[in-house]
Amino acid sequence: MQIIDIFALVAGLLAVLSSSLVAFHPNILYAAIALTFSLLSVAGLYAVLGADFIAGVQLIIYVGGIIVVILFAIMMSENIYRARFVDNAKRFLAPLIFCGLLFFVLMKLISKASFPLVQNPQRLPISDAIGQALTTAYALPFEYIALLLLAGLVGAVIIARPEYKETHYEDDGASK
Amino acid sequence: MNGLANNFSFYLIISAIMFAFGVVTALSRKNAIGIFMGVELILNAAALNFVAVRLFQAKAALSPTQDGAVFALFIIIMAAIEAAVALAIVLRMFSIKRSIDPDKMARLRG
Repeated sequence: MQIIDIFALVAGLLAVLSSSLVAFHPNILYAAIALTFSLLSVAGLYAVLGADFIAGVQLIIYVGGIIVVILFAIMMSENIYRARFVDNAKRFLAPLIFCGLLFFVLMKLISKASFPLVQNPQRLPISDAIGQALTTAYALPFEYIALLLLAGLVGAVIIARPEYKETHYEDDGASK
Repeated sequence: MNGLANNFSFYLIISAIMFAFGVVTALSRKNAIGIFMGVELILNAAALNFVAVRLFQAKAALSPTQDGAVFALFIIIMAAIEAAVALAIVLRMFSIKRSIDPDKMARLRG
């Protein structure tokens, strides 16, 4: 076993354990912290797979951005420390059966399918190749997703903006 | 026998487990933020599959291609947009109803 295999094993086990905590921990705050470790271990798996740039992007955007926004939203809502889930078993029953079947089918597919694979792939730095792809073959999708990001952020600001009643302004004008 | 890091099925199995846990989370949480966290797990599982295929596909030995990595990048950007919009909706919902239980936001139900 080489060092990279040990690293892959640790990252995979951490991903599975923290994902199960995200699914089953009754407190939403601890589930969010488990989600942090899950995303970190996925970044480690990207590094094992030789995708250094994607691992960095995962760290910056997910762990640095999305987790902070999720924690912020959890802190904004009240009663986080009270476990409000009384009918635990009943709530988990149908999703667990469904996802057990789904996982079984996926395992069957993975074991039956024969992929045309290379046995010992080379792990090279990919940042320059991604930059080339984003400016040549993927230039149009890149522009689309930039436009989508702009529209999404403007929409988020408009949705989250506090609502001012019109009478507020009318009263202000009348009092002057 | 190859090492674990060069075993394609290892990544597929990790990804399938994360996907299943993500679906469980999204279906069973009585909390809008919890549902959103489940969707994040599902998106991560999909991106992990793309990056794994990028490294191990037989075509890559002939001419190196980065399609899988670019797809994973787009998935991550999509998740960022989704986080902004979903959490804006959650904050608005909380300011209207003082609760983030999605079952209570049923005014549009016929």
